[in-house]
Amino acid sequence: MARKLFVFISCLLLLFPLTGCWNRRELNELGISVGIGIDKAEKGYRVSVQVVNPGEVTAGKTSGNRTPITLYEATGDTIFEAIRKITTISPRVIYLAHLRVLVIGESLAREGIEKPLDHFSRDHEVRTDFFIVIAKGSTAKDVLKVLTPIEKIPANKLYLSLETSQKVWAPTATVTLDELMTDIISEGKSPVLSAVKVTGGVEGQSQKNVEKIDPSGRLKYTGLAVFREDKLIGWLNEKESKGYSYIRDKVRNTVGTLVCPEGGKIGVEVTRSKTQVTGKMNNGKPQINIEIRMEENIGEVECQIDLTKRKTIEDLEKSAEQKVAAIMLGTIHKVQKSFKVDIFGFGEEIHRVDPTAWKTLKQNWDEQFTHLDINVKADVQIRRIGTVSNSFHKKEEE
Amino acid sequence: MTSNVKISVRQFTVIVMFYTIGTTILVIPSSLAADADQDAWIAAILGWVLGLLIVGFYIRLGRLFPNMTLIEYNEKVFGKWLGKKISLFFIFFSFICAATVLYYLGNFMTTQVMPETPIESFTILFAGIVVMGLRLGLEVVARTAEILFPWFLLLFIVSTLFLIPEIEIQNIQPVFEFGIKPIMNGALTFASTASLPLVILLLVFPAFVNHPKDAGKAYFIGTLLGGLFVIIITFLSISILGADLSERNMYPSYALAKKIDVGNFIQRVEILIAGIWFMTIFFKTTIYSFSFLTGLAQIFGFRDYRPFALPYGMILVVYSLVVYPDVVYMMDFDSTIWIPYALTIGLLLPLIILSVGSLRKKIKK
Repeated sequence: MARKLFVFISCLLLLFPLTGCWNRRELNELGISVGIGIDKAEKGYRVSVQVVNPGEVTAGKTSGNRTPITLYEATGDTIFEAIRKITTISPRVIYLAHLRVLVIGESLAREGIEKPLDHFSRDHEVRTDFFIVIAKGSTAKDVLKVLTPIEKIPANKLYLSLETSQKVWAPTATVTLDELMTDIISEGKSPVLSAVKVTGGVEGQSQKNVEKIDPSGRLKYTGLAVFREDKLIGWLNEKESKGYSYIRDKVRNTVGTLVCPEGGKIGVEVTRSKTQVTGKMNNGKPQINIEIRMEENIGEVECQIDLTKRKTIEDLEKSAEQKVAAIMLGTIHKVQKSFKVDIFGFGEEIHRVDPTAWKTLKQNWDEQFTHLDINVKADVQIRRIGTVSNSFHKKEEE
Repeated sequence: MTSNVKISVRQFTVIVMFYTIGTTILVIPSSLAADADQDAWIAAILGWVLGLLIVGFYIRLGRLFPNMTLIEYNEKVFGKWLGKKISLFFIFFSFICAATVLYYLGNFMTTQVMPETPIESFTILFAGIVVMGLRLGLEVVARTAEILFPWFLLLFIVSTLFLIPEIEIQNIQPVFEFGIKPIMNGALTFASTASLPLVILLLVFPAFVNHPKDAGKAYFIGTLLGGLFVIIITFLSISILGADLSERNMYPSYALAKKIDVGNFIQRVEILIAGIWFMTIFFKTTIYSFSFLTGLAQIFGFRDYRPFALPYGMILVVYSLVVYPDVVYMMDFDSTIWIPYALTIGLLLPLIILSVGSLRKKIKK
């Protein structure tokens, strides 16, 4: 009996050391950072961190006169040091596991992004599910300072905007840390990141910005940033970026315009798109064949065209095929001429099909890439024409 | 003293399986990718076949002296003095391995999960459970293995299924880019981390198994299954993370588990997946410790090893803290010293024992 009692009491006593975790960090001790911006400083880096102001994002309890997020910044010789230094101005330790976007300022990106990224791959708190974007024409800090409507947390807005536009519009690229690192290391594919632009200058930085129906300060994605190894070398505009998305088979849904035979425009929605890039060695020369199959629906007709005839649809399909091929080739030519880096991963494709040839090719692959033999084949099917057949434009004319 | 402890054939299978998976599952994709890049999974398969051959050899050795442990027949083969000395090599190997495995666990926790918690708190807690298992005896440990097996299977299958959508087959192409040599190197790495330590099970097999005849089969099947799980993890790691990231990551399997994201809903579950290796590491440490203690008892003629379990646990914790002074030493040790060491203990010595043993038997006849 005494023994049983002893066991029972010692079991109870043993519960005490089990109550807490050594590393426990309560939610109210964490500064949950959702966005991080890195800029060049005179010495080292300037890191700006967008931290959630918890009281202002809880539903129903907001006071309304404080911003939902706050921005801390610090400079340091290393990213790690700068982030820790932030505790001198922030009451809480920066917690990185909920990071949504990492913004890199243009001037730093031009010098190379490899070094500052190491900390993010090494730190145990950081996951790899956030997107990395480049601040076009501004510092990363400016991007993180803009308040946004609908999404209270601007970093969330940046994340969702990028995700959604990739899904239904295409000329953006959602790149996560591990993809970016793989691209930087790879000899047959140069990295590409989405570019984000601040419009409206300093007006976006105050609470007033979101009190307006038409906020003056906004964050907008504009095409892609092209890198050689880890250095930013130029930008692709929206159309060229779309070509990039087509080639990399990243298009899930987008909207395009076709020209009617007798002038006027037709808006089409791409509902399905599948690109296959195959490489082969042709007489010792690398060759890339791009095959794209698309399904489209007609979404808008602004010209006189008889949609009830098979022939019209076939003609439209042909012009759509030419159009998409032209978009892709346009992007390729631009990149071949102005940037001379393989952002499409053609080199990796050659590497996959002919590893022995790749060994010699990779030594000057970027040079090879500029005069690479590329064939594009497109196959477009127009499946549906919407809820009406012929447009009412025609009736008006008669 | 050995005759009264018996575990069933099925329990032995599960123990061999857990033992094979052990810490291998945590680190092998990384070291295989370092050797064979995108062909790491082929290296894993080759290493697995190599491992099966090695186990086949162990089974032969075990069959030569049924109802005896390695320590006992060492004495029979080489005589009392030399035999005991050779046995010391084996139990010393057990002890070092137990300490390194414990360090692996502590290091994993402090690197990935709770960096501010001192490593001692993990190793002491973990060693506590191991000592408990040792005091309760092999039968209890074996039954635990049997009970935990379905949980292990559930976690493994669920995580594999969740990871399948993330596979990108381009990551494993081109196949055989660097030829067969790096793959052979990888296979050797695989065999030395996953299969050669299986020699320690000769201290359990076949003496402690209730049907020594079927035990050989169990030994084989356990290795077969365990290797299969490790191959799957290696393949997933290469095809999802890519060869380069697999190599760069200290714990690719954990990085892999972080990738799980089903509909933005089932995510951040990596620590549940880590449960897989908490189980396997527990069994690996316990078996190493068990073989060390029973071996020690047999060499010095103690009747029972149990009184030594607690002091052993204390020494183990302290030794695990100093066995690798730092992480870089660990990586260096594992890639350079470990392979020849494992080959000596796991292949060379058993080969000598087998040849001398069968020679003696023939002479007797």
